[in-house]
Amino acid sequence: MNNNQRVNNQRAFLFGYSKRSLVIAKELQIRNFLLTIVVSTDNAYNLAKDDGYLDVVKLNMKDDNDLETLNVEDDDHLVCVMEDNHFNVFLTLSLRALFPKSKIIALSDSIHTTQKLKMAGANRVIDLYQVSANRIYNILNKPLATKFIDNILSPNSELSLREIVIPKNSYLNNIKVDDFNFSKHGVILVGMIDRRLSNQFLFITSGLEHQLNIGDTMVCIGYNDDLDRFEKSISIEYF
Amino acid sequence: MFAKLITKFAFYLHSSSKYKNIKKVFHNFLNNSDFIYKKYFDSFMIMLILVSVVILVYEVEHPIPKWIDDFDVYLVTSIFSLEYILRFWVYNDFHSSIVREYEEAHFLDKPFSVWKPIKSVLKGKFEYIVSPSAIVDLLAILPAYRPLRILRIFVLFRVFKLLRYTKSIHQFVEVLATKRFELITLLFLLFFIVSTAGIAIYVFEERTNPNINSIFDALYWALVTISSVGYGDISPMTPAGRVISMLIIISGIAMISFVTSVIVSAFSEKLNELKEHRIVEEINKKEEFIIICGYGQMTRIFLKSNTLNNYDYVIIEKDAKRVEVGIKEGYKIIQEDASRHDVISKFNVNYSKITLLALTGNDVNNIYITLNAKSISRNIKVIARASDHHMEKKCKLAGVDHVVLPNMAANRMLLFAITQPAMYRAMYSMLVGQTLAQLDEISTIEHSKLVGKRIEEIDFKAHKLLFIGFQCGRKNEFIFNPPIQIDIRKGDILLVMGRRVSINYFKQLNAGVSYE
Repeated sequence: MNNNQRVNNQRAFLFGYSKRSLVIAKELQIRNFLLTIVVSTDNAYNLAKDDGYLDVVKLNMKDDNDLETLNVEDDDHLVCVMEDNHFNVFLTLSLRALFPKSKIIALSDSIHTTQKLKMAGANRVIDLYQVSANRIYNILNKPLATKFIDNILSPNSELSLREIVIPKNSYLNNIKVDDFNFSKHGVILVGMIDRRLSNQFLFITSGLEHQLNIGDTMVCIGYNDDLDRFEKSISIEYF
Repeated sequence: MFAKLITKFAFYLHSSSKYKNIKKVFHNFLNNSDFIYKKYFDSFMIMLILVSVVILVYEVEHPIPKWIDDFDVYLVTSIFSLEYILRFWVYNDFHSSIVREYEEAHFLDKPFSVWKPIKSVLKGKFEYIVSPSAIVDLLAILPAYRPLRILRIFVLFRVFKLLRYTKSIHQFVEVLATKRFELITLLFLLFFIVSTAGIAIYVFEERTNPNINSIFDALYWALVTISSVGYGDISPMTPAGRVISMLIIISGIAMISFVTSVIVSAFSEKLNELKEHRIVEEINKKEEFIIICGYGQMTRIFLKSNTLNNYDYVIIEKDAKRVEVGIKEGYKIIQEDASRHDVISKFNVNYSKITLLALTGNDVNNIYITLNAKSISRNIKVIARASDHHMEKKCKLAGVDHVVLPNMAANRMLLFAITQPAMYRAMYSMLVGQTLAQLDEISTIEHSKLVGKRIEEIDFKAHKLLFIGFQCGRKNEFIFNPPIQIDIRKGDILLVMGRRVSINYFKQLNAGVSYE
């Protein structure tokens, strides 16, 4: 089972349609997201329509009443990728004010904008240059680590990083992380989201003792076949 | 017969790599400022010059022990003489000229004469002999000849010899040379005023002033007065003489301020160039450094991320305003166009390991910069920024070793944040290298405590580390999650994940590995 099949029926609103956001729109569609592209100009509207997107809305993003017509729900993803940094911050602020529980993800291209987007209420801010600058550092200092990361991020790679949710009746329920040999299954547990605790991501190397429970999300690295086998095996009930 | 012998010998030398290498080594030490070890030779020569000057000056009034005298006469002089001969030798090549002439004659089917290339090389050698620096070198040897005490005045030339080795003095002379026209004009003006005033005072006071007995006295008085020194040994006595004094004093003030302003403006005009020259010179002494082309958002973030702790770097930016900002922010930045051949060739491409980061916001520029660097040396490693996948292909064709796509990297992260939010944190840490959890490499070397151990014997868990895999040094192949019975060997690289402190501590415990 791959990620595309796993994630569906989630709604995502992509604010802005330009060169920067073309790939994002395409990828979200591939991953079966119910995608709505929100634009403010005729040009962007026509471009999105020409690219085959059906749900394209043109509205005045400065107007809260217009934004409210989108009927955004709490679980929806709001992706702010406007070309104009100032407007991207303003839009983030407007969306946060209108939809306090939605997940806002924004793209930034400077340290100062990143800070402002966070202050405006974005849940996640991706700094265009921060990621690249660190990649350069990694190429210079950690060539093997860089190659490894590239490998697990490549769609054609046999190695990958995967989220695995512990299903009901799994034998992993109530088992301590240290007591379970993940290596035996050919996978490495990197971290997890413990639903009972803070619902925050915890690295396995943080030094805390974790107990696995139903509903926890594990993040594992491994070969796709091993991950598939492991995912299948943990759904078996422990007798 | 003699010509044949010389030609044969020239061919022998031309084909001898040993001879060429020896000559190249001497050339590097004497003339190649990019040669990393030249600085040691220069320092040695400076020290030798200073010691010999101190000996010669001390010897004027005090007797010195024989061994010190021998040291100066034999050792210092021998080294200076040898240096002079070696410089004469490496200045140009007999064999290359003879071989070139022979091959040309053979190709054109014309008669070959060995004397033509010999004459041309001798001309070159003569040019060397009469060059100011060679004359200084030769005269600096003379004070060693003790029977003629007068020759000791040539100790001054040993001081002049410092010019060759101390770049700051050399640069000072170079800066003054840029204002040659202004300074010569002023010198002529000075000559004119001094002569006019000298002649005038001589005419007016030769009979009345007992201190002015000749035209020399008059010119001496004029020069001392115009320079505002005014010893007072000669002073005007007639009203006409005093009027001349007043005029000469006024013109003297004007001239001094004029000379000062010419020198100051020469330095202010050349200041940036000198600073940039110094930056390039300093970086060229390093065995490994980074050239960052473009001072934009990405360069700033790269620099601010504190990632350059272990690297020597220089930024090249052609926009004056950006350069100004970079200087204010304290970075080593020079205003140049990195796509120009002469700009990149200034760097020590032959002896240093250079990584070039083409980070301008323009793909065309980045590709041009890459081609420029690669055309100078294929050994320059290039990491370039590109806007999309199409550009990535072109970058690879141009010779870029690693292409960085900011949009793609950010899009990837953004998609992670939407589609796999639990993994986002892990990916972000891996990509951004947070202190919370980062992916790092541990290289084993011969004396590392890890060498010879089985994986199961290393308690990664106790060190709060996650062992991901290792690269087998012999096979250059990465093994993910390897069997725990495998031995770690010299040259293997372990890939681990953990907090920065955990990784650093683990590295320290296993001495011999690289530290951050």
